[in-house]
Amino acid sequence: MGFFNHQNLMKIHYQKKRNSDKKKNKVSMKSVGDDIIPAVEESDSSEDEVAPRNTIGNAPLNFYTDEEHIGYDISGKKIKKQARKDMLEAFLARSDYPWNTIYDEYNDEEVEIPKEWRKLIRRYLKGKTPHADVDPYPEYVDWVKHDAKHPLSNAPDPKRRFIPSKSEHKEVLRLVTGIRKGHIKFEPPKEEKRVYDLWGEDSSSTDKARHGLRYIPPPKMKLPGHEESYNPSLEYIPTQEEIDSYELMYEEDRPKFIPRRYDSLRKVPAYDKYLLESFDRCLDLVLRPRVGKKRINIDPESLKPKLPSHNDAVTTISVHVSGQWLASGSKDGTVRIWEVETGRCIKMWDVGEAVSCVAWNPVPECLILAISAGQDVLVLNTGLGSAEEQQRVSELLNIGAPSETDNADKSTSIMSWLQHDKHEGIWLKHIKTVTSVVWHRKGDYFSIVMPNGDSRAVLVHQLSKKFTQRIPFKLHGHPVSSVFHPSRRILFIATKKCVRVYDLSKGKLIKKLEPGVREISSIAIHPAGDNIIVGSREGKVCWFDMDLSSQPFKKLRCHPKDITNVAFHRSYPLFAASSEDGTAYVLHGMVYSDLNKNPLIVPLEILRGHTTTDGRGVIDCTFHPRQPWLFTAGSDSVIKLYCH
Amino acid sequence: MPKHYRPPGKKKEGNSAKYSTRTKALRHLQVTLPTFRKLCILKGVFPREPKKKYEGNNKTYYHTKDIAFLLHEPLMDKLRDIRAYERKILKALAKKNEALAERLRSRKPGYTLDRLVKERYPTFIDALRDLDDCLTMVHLFAALPAVESEHIKVKDIHECRRLSHEWQAYISRTNKLRKTFISVKGTYYQVEVEGQKITWLTPHALQQVITDDVDFKVMLTFLEFYQTFLQFINFKLYTEINVNYPPSLDPRLEALGADQYALSKYIAGSSMAESQVGKEGMTVESELKLAQLQHQLPANEPGALMQLVEGSNGEDQDDDETRECKSLFKDLKIFLSREVPRESLLFVIPAFGGVVSWEGEGAPFQETDDGITHQIVDRPTQGHLFLSREYVQPQWIYDCVNARILLPTDGYMVGRVPPPHLSPFVDNEAEGYVPDYAEVVTRLKAEAKKEVLPMPGLENLDLDDPQSLMAEGIMSRTEAIEIAQKKIKMDKLEKQYHEELQKELQKLPYSAASSKKNVDSVDEEIKDNLDRSAKDVSDMDQIVRTRKQRGLMKAMEMGIEKKKAKVNLLKKRKENIAKAPASKSS
Repeated sequence: MGFFNHQNLMKIHYQKKRNSDKKKNKVSMKSVGDDIIPAVEESDSSEDEVAPRNTIGNAPLNFYTDEEHIGYDISGKKIKKQARKDMLEAFLARSDYPWNTIYDEYNDEEVEIPKEWRKLIRRYLKGKTPHADVDPYPEYVDWVKHDAKHPLSNAPDPKRRFIPSKSEHKEVLRLVTGIRKGHIKFEPPKEEKRVYDLWGEDSSSTDKARHGLRYIPPPKMKLPGHEESYNPSLEYIPTQEEIDSYELMYEEDRPKFIPRRYDSLRKVPAYDKYLLESFDRCLDLVLRPRVGKKRINIDPESLKPKLPSHNDAVTTISVHVSGQWLASGSKDGTVRIWEVETGRCIKMWDVGEAVSCVAWNPVPECLILAISAGQDVLVLNTGLGSAEEQQRVSELLNIGAPSETDNADKSTSIMSWLQHDKHEGIWLKHIKTVTSVVWHRKGDYFSIVMPNGDSRAVLVHQLSKKFTQRIPFKLHGHPVSSVFHPSRRILFIATKKCVRVYDLSKGKLIKKLEPGVREISSIAIHPAGDNIIVGSREGKVCWFDMDLSSQPFKKLRCHPKDITNVAFHRSYPLFAASSEDGTAYVLHGMVYSDLNKNPLIVPLEILRGHTTTDGRGVIDCTFHPRQPWLFTAGSDSVIKLYCH
Repeated sequence: MPKHYRPPGKKKEGNSAKYSTRTKALRHLQVTLPTFRKLCILKGVFPREPKKKYEGNNKTYYHTKDIAFLLHEPLMDKLRDIRAYERKILKALAKKNEALAERLRSRKPGYTLDRLVKERYPTFIDALRDLDDCLTMVHLFAALPAVESEHIKVKDIHECRRLSHEWQAYISRTNKLRKTFISVKGTYYQVEVEGQKITWLTPHALQQVITDDVDFKVMLTFLEFYQTFLQFINFKLYTEINVNYPPSLDPRLEALGADQYALSKYIAGSSMAESQVGKEGMTVESELKLAQLQHQLPANEPGALMQLVEGSNGEDQDDDETRECKSLFKDLKIFLSREVPRESLLFVIPAFGGVVSWEGEGAPFQETDDGITHQIVDRPTQGHLFLSREYVQPQWIYDCVNARILLPTDGYMVGRVPPPHLSPFVDNEAEGYVPDYAEVVTRLKAEAKKEVLPMPGLENLDLDDPQSLMAEGIMSRTEAIEIAQKKIKMDKLEKQYHEELQKELQKLPYSAASSKKNVDSVDEEIKDNLDRSAKDVSDMDQIVRTRKQRGLMKAMEMGIEKKKAKVNLLKKRKENIAKAPASKSS
């Protein structure tokens, strides 16, 4: 019905257009009624009875546009044009009653549209059927009687209409037998993909290991930096010039990502390359060959080939009188000789045990090194120096084997002189651990200390005669170290509590120095011989003036931790103390020849540089014989040389 | 005669025996390239680099063992079966037998991938280690539209959404989230599960751009594996915290799209029930333990022991960091307004112990709630402002999470441009450049821990010993370096001053030019000396290095240079920025 309506309306439009085209003798209103509603044709005829006022017939109306009349009436009189309504008035009239009147151009008059016509027009405009009494949805009446026989044929129903189908029966039988015999299977219910504990409970079973080749995990995606933030700091955003300069770069050098800044989170758009990037990642995972590579995250310094060095803490160092050679002993059982000027490792011996002390023979042309390691003391020919010197040294270190063994000294029971079979030198075997070796100034005697040796704790060996003697004094307490007086025949023996001074020629105790510290660790004597420094385990250094008293002249509290060694310089007024806290102090210690003047002690410098490993910092320190240089040996297996 | 003649009967050896090119592998396996790709993706087989690429550099090489591995894969037979089955359907269609085609389609054989997951990741830890890509992909597909032409199915999208929500709910519940970062690309999250750091990226919750140059077939194959993978991971994780998997959600909330909230409610509900059961068990156990301990200890300290046991009761599995994370937003009640990333915040805030609600149906509490302490707002126009709460931008949450303290909200107020959002994944000091806001945050953190830091303005630092300061952990490396440089400069000045003094003592006429020159010359001299000595050292090093080491060294130096250049550029830009407003104002 709706369709019809629409078509009708179309018709009206069409008609109106045609009318306006014609603009002839027909009243447009009339033609409207005429065409659309054939149902009301009768009323139209009555309309026709009213004869038009004008009699011009089919003459075009525009002939009269410039005239004062519009035509002639039936009596031949001119029909005057009516005064034209002004536009406003016409508009108002029309807006008040939109469809009440219509202007008849032919007769030049306003014609009133009858009420029922107006109704029709209104219904038209609303898209309804023009007449209200037309029912667009009438009740459907089914005229055909379906249960009745078709009027075309009155034949009775065939048999097949009321007998069960044979073919169907066959089909059912086939299905039934098929199902019974299991030919036909029912569709199993679709099961959901099951989720279960794939990895199980125990993580230690053996089949957990991955089979086959080594798995190389894919590299993780790069984590974003500050510049990828939606709101990075201003300095991360490139300037316009920089962005322009990217255009000039090669494709591969061009930065893939240009930072941008959004002042609010809601303004951040979707990232347009997201899918592409994740697709690239997928391709990388499946197409790129993977290689297990070690990350290069190393210190450039480590690429330098290692200089020969000790593998463990350097426990002891000693400088030759000439200042040319430095000997060092380490916990790893090696003794090395270094050339001081170049830092080159000249020689190396492996003695097998942790080296406790090394000492150069103080005679310049006699290049002999004494080493104490464990219970052994080795006196070795270093093989340095001229051929003549070497000759002398090797003669000196040669033992005519059996002649010394029948030396029925008491000391033979505690030690023996042997020729070392591996290295060129003498091997002195002791019964207890030797901790220190000290040479006499003339290079013939050297004393050793065995802290657990009881009455034979301190021995003095004579190299030329291969002869050993023990100190004929009773020692009180554990000896720590011993030192010869630089000019006189006096031996200083430091025990844990005090320092005893023995006259070797007279064979008696001269003095007992009492530093009043908890435990003495080291001792050093001034080259003039009148002053001694003693280092203690509590970090104190005691300066003794031999001419004054047995009490220390000065106590210096310099280190927070144990002092490991103290040393005097041979020519400069300097002395040093090294400590386990990884530092070494260098102090100025001036001794005046004027006896009335007290020595002057001024701290000069703290030398840092060693790192503390396993609680031991600097283990040994010693001065260069001529230059104001200090060597320190650290537990970090490094020997350092400090120059002023 | 071929290039490398191998007499008949002699086996291949070397690289050609160990590796085969892709074409050869295809021929050996008798599969097409797409099937091979699919198999490789599912089995996790990747090309390897032979020592010598015997057939040319442009070929892809697979290990023969990998190919044998694929050859014995039952999945390959399955894929062949499926292919044959599809031909059946095509045949039926060609014969216009729609019914048969339909029936065949409904019974299509499928395959499961759980065996492959187990094979590729024999232990759970292995699986977690490789989870990054899986999570990123699943989260991406959760945000994609279903596109018929690209075979992205609605079912897959829903599955991805479900899996990602389940994962997030677990992380949020167990407070395992560690770092978050909003980048231009999306939001990065880093979690720590069983000691493994897992990072993933989720796109912004906006319509994604679907480009033509992406082959969705490859991505969907990956997704197929990842879905199975994540499902089993989720199962394992859920069972570890005694929650049933798959979770059954409140249908009302699910319909509203508040999956996350529904999930968290579900987990909370079920684990509460569990914990009550568990608690009883635990009390029995702890009493036993107590009895045992009391035997060993003197009887005078039962109270202390009691406390010990009780203390261990509650958070015995949590490490310190988890505890810290749990309590970050503990006392906060946060409300999300419109136009903030709701899903992300609903994930992040509960992960750090906060209570959160949003605007919309199914929300746990409304905007008018009096207890709300913070409201997350992004757009400056606001209707009714509650005085009892603070209005902050969403970035505040993320920055707080990264700093692990509650930052002051002044900078994050609505309508302001928030302070720069910094990446938590960067080690600023290793990078050599510390952004200003990073320093501010470290200060705030130190303040929160009641540590005293030297004020930035006061330079009463001990210039002599930067190393000792560093040892105390007060200064960063860069600062130490700067101070060392300052010290050198001061030494120089001192030296100059002494020289001038000497000159004055010698009654030499003072001239500015000479002194200036002096400074310069001293400067240059020192610089030259330094340069020369450094050059000498490096030259000497060059001599003793092997060729390989030299190459390595060069590469390293280039890397260092690049880094330095980057830092310098940043510093220069910063200077320019500082200059610009100054010039404007003047």
